[in-house]
Amino acid sequence: MVAIRWEFRPQSTPPWERTELVKITVNGRVVDADPKLPLIRACHDNDVDVPMYCYHPGLSAVGSCRICQVEVKQGDTPGRVMVACRTTPVEGMIVDTESSKAHETRRECLEFLLKNHPLDCPICDKAGECDLQDYAYDEGQSTGRSNEPRRPLEKRKSLGEVIVLDEERCILCSRCVRFFEEVPKKAQLTIRDLGSRSMVSTFMDRPLTGNYQGNIADLCPVGALTLKNFRFQARVWNLVKMASTCVECSRGCSIQVETLRNSDVKRFRPRANLKVNGHWMCDVGRFAVEHANADGRLEGARVLEGVQMLQTPIEDGLCVVRDALMASKGALFVLSPFCTVEEGRALQELAKRHQADIAFVSPAPNALKDDLLHTGDPCPNRRGLTDLGIVGDSPANLLKRLAASKVAVIAGERVVELLGTSGVKDLPSTLALFAFECHPVESKSLRAEIGIANHVERIGTIVNVNGERGPLAAAKPAPRSVRALTRHLEDLARLSPKKETATR
Amino acid sequence: MKTYETYLLDRAKVEGAHQLATYKKLGGYKGLEKTLKSGLTPAAVVDEMKKSGLRGRGGAGFSTGMKWSFMPDITKDPRTRYLAINADESEPGTCKDRVLMEGDPHGVIEGSLIAAYAIRASAVYIYVRGEYRLSHDRIAAAVKEARAANLVGKNILGSDYSCEVFMHKGAGAYICGEETGLMESLEGKRGHPRQKPPFPAQSGLWNSPTTVNNVETVFNAPFIVERGAAWHAAIGTQNSKGNFLVCISGHVNKPGVYELPFGVTAQEILEEKAGGVWKGRKLKAWFPGGSSCALLLGRDVDVVLDHDSLRTRGSSLGTAAMVMMDDHTSMARVMEVIARFYEHESCGQCSQCREGTQWLSQIFHRIAHGLGQDDDIATLEALAKGMAPAKTICALSDAAAIPTLSAIKLFKDELTQCIRDGRDPLGIPAPKYATVGAH
Repeated sequence: MVAIRWEFRPQSTPPWERTELVKITVNGRVVDADPKLPLIRACHDNDVDVPMYCYHPGLSAVGSCRICQVEVKQGDTPGRVMVACRTTPVEGMIVDTESSKAHETRRECLEFLLKNHPLDCPICDKAGECDLQDYAYDEGQSTGRSNEPRRPLEKRKSLGEVIVLDEERCILCSRCVRFFEEVPKKAQLTIRDLGSRSMVSTFMDRPLTGNYQGNIADLCPVGALTLKNFRFQARVWNLVKMASTCVECSRGCSIQVETLRNSDVKRFRPRANLKVNGHWMCDVGRFAVEHANADGRLEGARVLEGVQMLQTPIEDGLCVVRDALMASKGALFVLSPFCTVEEGRALQELAKRHQADIAFVSPAPNALKDDLLHTGDPCPNRRGLTDLGIVGDSPANLLKRLAASKVAVIAGERVVELLGTSGVKDLPSTLALFAFECHPVESKSLRAEIGIANHVERIGTIVNVNGERGPLAAAKPAPRSVRALTRHLEDLARLSPKKETATR
Repeated sequence: MKTYETYLLDRAKVEGAHQLATYKKLGGYKGLEKTLKSGLTPAAVVDEMKKSGLRGRGGAGFSTGMKWSFMPDITKDPRTRYLAINADESEPGTCKDRVLMEGDPHGVIEGSLIAAYAIRASAVYIYVRGEYRLSHDRIAAAVKEARAANLVGKNILGSDYSCEVFMHKGAGAYICGEETGLMESLEGKRGHPRQKPPFPAQSGLWNSPTTVNNVETVFNAPFIVERGAAWHAAIGTQNSKGNFLVCISGHVNKPGVYELPFGVTAQEILEEKAGGVWKGRKLKAWFPGGSSCALLLGRDVDVVLDHDSLRTRGSSLGTAAMVMMDDHTSMARVMEVIARFYEHESCGQCSQCREGTQWLSQIFHRIAHGLGQDDDIATLEALAKGMAPAKTICALSDAAAIPTLSAIKLFKDELTQCIRDGRDPLGIPAPKYATVGAH
């Protein structure tokens, strides 16, 4: 049977939610099942795959698609075919997902689902990760019995700025409808009309609003709801998927980064993580792809020679930084809150060695805060850096402190943006500023700048607002001659011997 | 002509029986008075219903007393309880509740209150089909009258039992006659049936214990309380007790609603009540209980009308809506109409029903219009088997599949000929129907 894709596979009942478990038999194997969760969860948790369209572990179960039918025996009664998403596990229940009766019922159901589904797969964005397509290959008959015309409906119906609806492909599982009712708790979609004329629609065709619209494209088991910015961008089987963490706020949602042929990041999608984000992510994080793919990166190192910045080998750039730090006392290290725990620790050690001050940029919370996921705090690793003992300081304050310093190092992704581009530009030339940044820095005080890898190009750990650790994955290679900050810091440590050694 | 004791339609035939004064003159509200004032406990009323052998008249024929006894124990479950009266009568061929509601609305209210007392409900919701304007208005007026006479509301008739009656008008959806669909609709949502379990008695309206009864079912309650379970149990056959209302329609001389005890034959109703098949023709086929049950052949008209006898013939009593069809009827066209009805009324939740009813309708439409294809009958049979039994949330899918399967079983030759010749065997020109969805 077809495997449920791992990104949607719910994690098994977390230990803190475990109640009295019951023993049931699934395909001849005795397993534990949580009676609070539907039978389909017990099957999935034990690697028994049951197809599902209307059921989603993050939403309520309605049992309307009828594809998850399995044969259930209770006591002495003969086996009955029941929907696994609306059946409660009971002690001693015997479940057979592969019986001929269950297979036949599911096959019949699939035939009905395919009756009006267009043969769009070659041009459908969902092809390759479509539950209907997968299961049709797996279970369905290869020829259709229907001689009737399929219902002609709208192929491109805009539902706001994020989502396009293809009405023909919709199998009316109502996941998207329930998502808005149950997760952001603001109903926006409904199913209008009855029977075979049913259609997903917003009220009076108003556009969708809110920060969580993108989730319904993930939820959609077929290609009916697609993201406008992912339409016709890539075939999903060409995407390389890496487990990572979102850095757009301090929630640190578990995501997967999907890159096309090791080059551009094509999308960010949520990974199920019940401790952090459940099954969802916000649109701000989802559409932060531009940050990851941004052009005009700072490559190699650039050092001030006379009046202009000249491209030099990285080693030379690092030597300039080393020399300045060795010669100074009381330098200032300004970190980006995007720095990982590993980078924070390395910078902290370096600062200690050179008796430098260290702080990270901590801008004011933004207005994106909501009750669901977005924390409004733009510092993804605030908790991790604070736990290391690095304190946050406001951008205005840090600029003042920088202006008063002789030597300063600013390090990390988006550090200039967070400090304020114009503020950094106007720093006095009395300051010798050294930058580790993804993009070229403009400043009168700049002496050297070295390119670093961004959050989809390096590995590391960030700690979210609740203290949950999240990994960063190197989903795509960094541009030529751009390395991770940790790598630069290692080299710098190697180049700058300990103070005692230097004085001897 | 044999005559039988009648009681259900007696009052409805009297002029002005929808008014409280006339209703009381005819012996109304005696049952309610007996229930509330003679010290009958709710459990005793439920017992009485069980003993009387009354079965639900909404189609499924489930024992009413049993249904009431499924309500949770009041000492353990303090939630508010509700009674919903299903007056969303829309099964094709059925018109019995309308006669009761228009002619005898106080009888419906009295029955509802007895049922509400038995299940200790504190509110009754009467869900009237939207098209039944007069029924709605008559019951609404009757509730007003009854409230003024302390028959509805606080401390009914001076007892310590209080119960409110609320009216609700449907918006014309057949699916809202399904009990869980009705509850969703009452709650103000789309009439999408709910998956059972939980059953309404555990979690119904607003997650509270709820019983849903048909109008005719509760209408029987005052008579049973007043005259005793033994009286009721003496009428009818072994498993079907009492009188019931037959709605006979189609190709007969005198279509209408007639009251008869269980145990009479369909032949007797057809000949003696409905005046036989019209124009001196022969009976070709008939539905014994609305379009959701299996078709029977004309020769099956000798069947005794009760739940068991019809089951042995492969059909069911349903709502006792007999739809008679003479020998000039094209079965392809009959099935086209029926399939079109179910396509139009499917709520669209379950895949099998949403797509299946449309598919059946499309195939029957083609056959009836001379565009049938060789594999159509095999496809129809496979589809109907994929839609039933009990493969979906509610029984609408079954209701579309059952007549289809019976039509294929009984009239395969006619349908095959229709497909082969590319026209109806009777040569009746196909009428022009608007396609479904053209509202």
